[in-house]
Amino acid sequence: MTSLNSFLFIAFPYIAFSVLVIGATYRYKSSGYKVSSLSSQFLEGKKVFWGIVPFHFGIILLFIGHLVVFLFPEAVLRWNSDPVRLVLHEGIGFTFGISVLLGLTILIVRRWFNPRLKMVTNRMDVVIEVVLLSQIILGCWIALGYRWGSSWFASDLSPYLWSLVKLSPNIEAVSALPDVIKLHIVGAFLILFLIPFTRLVHFLVAPFHYIFRPYQVVMWYWDKKQIREPSTPWQITRPRNN
Amino acid sequence: MITGFPKKWRVPALGVLTVVIWLGPTRHVMAAETGQQIFQGSCVACHTIGGGRLVGPDLAGVHDRRTQAWLEKFVKSSQSMVKSGDPDAIAVFEKFSKIVMPDSSALSDAQIKAVLGHIKGAGTVGASSESEKPSVSEEPVVAASKEDILLGQLLFQGKTRFENAGPTCISCHNVTNDAVIGGGVLAKELTTVFSKMGGTGVRAILGAAPFPVMETAYKGKPLTEKEIIALVAFLQDADEQHAYHQPRDYGMGLLISGFIGAGILFAFYSVLWLRRRKDSVNQKIYDRQVKST
Repeated sequence: MTSLNSFLFIAFPYIAFSVLVIGATYRYKSSGYKVSSLSSQFLEGKKVFWGIVPFHFGIILLFIGHLVVFLFPEAVLRWNSDPVRLVLHEGIGFTFGISVLLGLTILIVRRWFNPRLKMVTNRMDVVIEVVLLSQIILGCWIALGYRWGSSWFASDLSPYLWSLVKLSPNIEAVSALPDVIKLHIVGAFLILFLIPFTRLVHFLVAPFHYIFRPYQVVMWYWDKKQIREPSTPWQITRPRNN
Repeated sequence: MITGFPKKWRVPALGVLTVVIWLGPTRHVMAAETGQQIFQGSCVACHTIGGGRLVGPDLAGVHDRRTQAWLEKFVKSSQSMVKSGDPDAIAVFEKFSKIVMPDSSALSDAQIKAVLGHIKGAGTVGASSESEKPSVSEEPVVAASKEDILLGQLLFQGKTRFENAGPTCISCHNVTNDAVIGGGVLAKELTTVFSKMGGTGVRAILGAAPFPVMETAYKGKPLTEKEIIALVAFLQDADEQHAYHQPRDYGMGLLISGFIGAGILFAFYSVLWLRRRKDSVNQKIYDRQVKST
């Protein structure tokens, strides 16, 4: 058990992080155009709305939430020291968990039943969806069954993660946690590990490029003359999105 | 998809991986501690050597009762022995209110031998059996003052913060008491902890937590003597009064509020991206494209 814990909570995080950095850099350098989510949102914005929006909005908030507890454990403990704020914090976190769970379920069902998507789905898409779904279910389970997660994350997991950062891992507390929580932690490292091999790699685009990029210019191949002939004026306002 | 690693990258990448993996477990190669130091750091919260029973048994003369190999195995992982059906391990576990002795995963075999050596050496004078000295349940019960109980209440749920900024007790523990909100369920329910462990046992645990999760949480943020007295007072009061209080379980409430919250969130998404939902971003371009063909 001790050696399994050492592997899962010491070796595996370092392997996962190294694979993420080396793999993502290699993928970007060797085939930059493949750093993509291969999204078809552009084609069916309305149909996927209730999948994409709750999933992404929720997962971004949850990711930032986990990151804040990791980076500022003392501030989180201070915030949680008021019982009302603690319950509010946990309630909001759990709400976003449900949002992600529902959104992801819709997206998985859509992928499963849409023949066009089935054609373009590869093995790693299925793997990453299963891992993400398990991770969300485990997260919701922990939020409910091992309350109050934000406080013990700040007191126990934050020091563990910092010990990894400082290259002096201390896994005493993590080894003693219930298996559900251990699985959730290993799941997080597994996701890091899988990023370079899946379409999840697209999330790296956000900090490096996406947030500060200029508008995308979308050009359609159409006959300008015919569109702008005087007999067919703009119906309401002149469109500005092309 | 990555199909292969360029040859020139293979060696450096492997090197980096090897270094980070093997730099990792440096924490485990701890500086040589004497048996006494280890006992003071890890065992003293629950055990004495000749000082009587605390949370666990008095360890004076333990070598006369058990073999060295049995002790080493028990210190390493008492629960593994209980689960494997060792009759002596089960008897000790049952006798001491089924309080789990944490595994000593952080201690090496040499350190376990060192601490057992210390116990053997220190316990030869005035060796006693497990039941000779007074147990915690026999200690006189002292009525806690109202001020202490109130302070304990406030500290337990965090309305008053610990002086050294340790996490509040409700992060992990629950107590059935109307004065505090429903606590965490990660660790033990503490409503009747006072009658199980007695004031000395509770005080000992609060002073130097023997459980790895709690130890890490309060590392560098120990409770002060005043805080420990207040918490013990509150736990004693909660134990005595628990029959008159309603247990609070926030699990179902959290589940329901999560779904209600998600409903509100979905309505929010719906309003925030009304235009995207009504008309996808490319609709106008798409219509014109159709028109031009």
